[in-house]
Amino acid sequence: MRREIPIIITFIVALVFLLGPITTGNIPLLDVQFRDLVGRHLSPWTTIIAAFALGLASVNLLRIHGNTISRKRTGWIYSAILIVTMLFFGITRTWVELQPANREIAAFYGNFFNFLYIPLAGAMFALLAFYIASAAYRAFRLRSLEASILLAAAVIVMLGAAPVGALIWDYFPALQTWLLGVPNLAGQRAIMIGAALGGFTTSLRILLGLERGHLGGE
Amino acid sequence: MDLVRGNIFGFYALLVTSAGVLIVIWLAKRGSFVPTLRRIAGLDAMEEAVGRATEMGRPVHFSPGIADVTGETAPQTFAGLEVLSHLTGLSAKYDAELIVSIRMPNVFPIAEEVVKQGYLAAGKADKFKESCVRFLSSEQFAYTAGVLGIMHREKVAANIMIGAFWAESLVMAEGGAHIGAIQIAGTASMAQIPFFVAACDYTLIGEEIYAGGAYLSQDKIKLGSIAAQDYLRLALMAMLFVGAVLMTLDNPWLRNVIVR
Repeated sequence: MRREIPIIITFIVALVFLLGPITTGNIPLLDVQFRDLVGRHLSPWTTIIAAFALGLASVNLLRIHGNTISRKRTGWIYSAILIVTMLFFGITRTWVELQPANREIAAFYGNFFNFLYIPLAGAMFALLAFYIASAAYRAFRLRSLEASILLAAAVIVMLGAAPVGALIWDYFPALQTWLLGVPNLAGQRAIMIGAALGGFTTSLRILLGLERGHLGGE
Repeated sequence: MDLVRGNIFGFYALLVTSAGVLIVIWLAKRGSFVPTLRRIAGLDAMEEAVGRATEMGRPVHFSPGIADVTGETAPQTFAGLEVLSHLTGLSAKYDAELIVSIRMPNVFPIAEEVVKQGYLAAGKADKFKESCVRFLSSEQFAYTAGVLGIMHREKVAANIMIGAFWAESLVMAEGGAHIGAIQIAGTASMAQIPFFVAACDYTLIGEEIYAGGAYLSQDKIKLGSIAAQDYLRLALMAMLFVGAVLMTLDNPWLRNVIVR
């Protein structure tokens, strides 16, 4: 029953979520609509489950980094900073939620989030530019016929998109549009259709309890 | 109770395709139809990656993507967890350390259970440690920074990423490439596939990630559903062809049926 109960709950809840947005009118024999079941009864449960999951995840984070600090492992200072920062953000956000009318607290929290976390996340995102350069260098090396075709296509697309391309040869922009709009789009759509079908059959297997890997077993 | 206009075709198509998939699964389960899957290099290389990590005495890192278990990207997360189940078995078999990094809190207890059960099934329950599955952060780039930190600090020998990824995909894959880890990545997120192809040793493209569970376990039910996908693809191709011909002949019948 340890496996069957989650599967039954998954099936019923998934069915309600599936039928919620696409049906109108009351469910036969019941005085309620599917969309009301979703909005009034199931959505609050997803919030409650998410809160519990966050609690579990936070305990995991605290225990792993707590261990690192107590055993003075290499880099323990970063674990200490992480825990202090996590507690600081958790406490100040709770404070903001408890006193929604207090703008000073909201500004205090907002300043830390907007001027500390956001720039750090932006810096991580900006790293992408350098990583694109190094990945492109490896991908575009003339090692095989496929890599050579990739390199030629990339050069045409880049020249077609840059103003200088049209100055070199009038047809670069048109060639770029064709490459992106015909062979590239055809390939993308084929992958998308395959991925959509794969997602559909995976969902169906989970819905019917035929896929149990996520429950910890075959 | 009625169907909302615009969803009628979709609803009946869902019923028909579901029935079709279930019939193929039933045939495969009964043994009257045994589908075989083509070789998928990325999945074959998983054992090699874990073996290499064992030889080097370094850990294997796994990420099930940064998506949740709800929404349209959820199947990718579940596909990642299916692969994780197999990877845990391999790690237990070769005595390799496994580190699973998690972004979404909802995924954390599921991944933890998958790893715990994987070690238990391999008869090595004592190998499971709390630090095997690590929640890093629900913020996208804080998670990315955390993964890069793990890769560099723990000097992972193999980096396996199967699931839904966004802008962090290349940062993580290049991070793995810089430390010389053998990398296997897979996603159905269209924009991230080229990044994985460029930066990883093996890439599972689109639907290949969903075939992972069936391919690795050779379970008849899962193999049947993969075969059903091919039949659905044929049906879709026929529909696309008929639709193209009808629209060329200025006959909108099929389009009108679909938009109902």
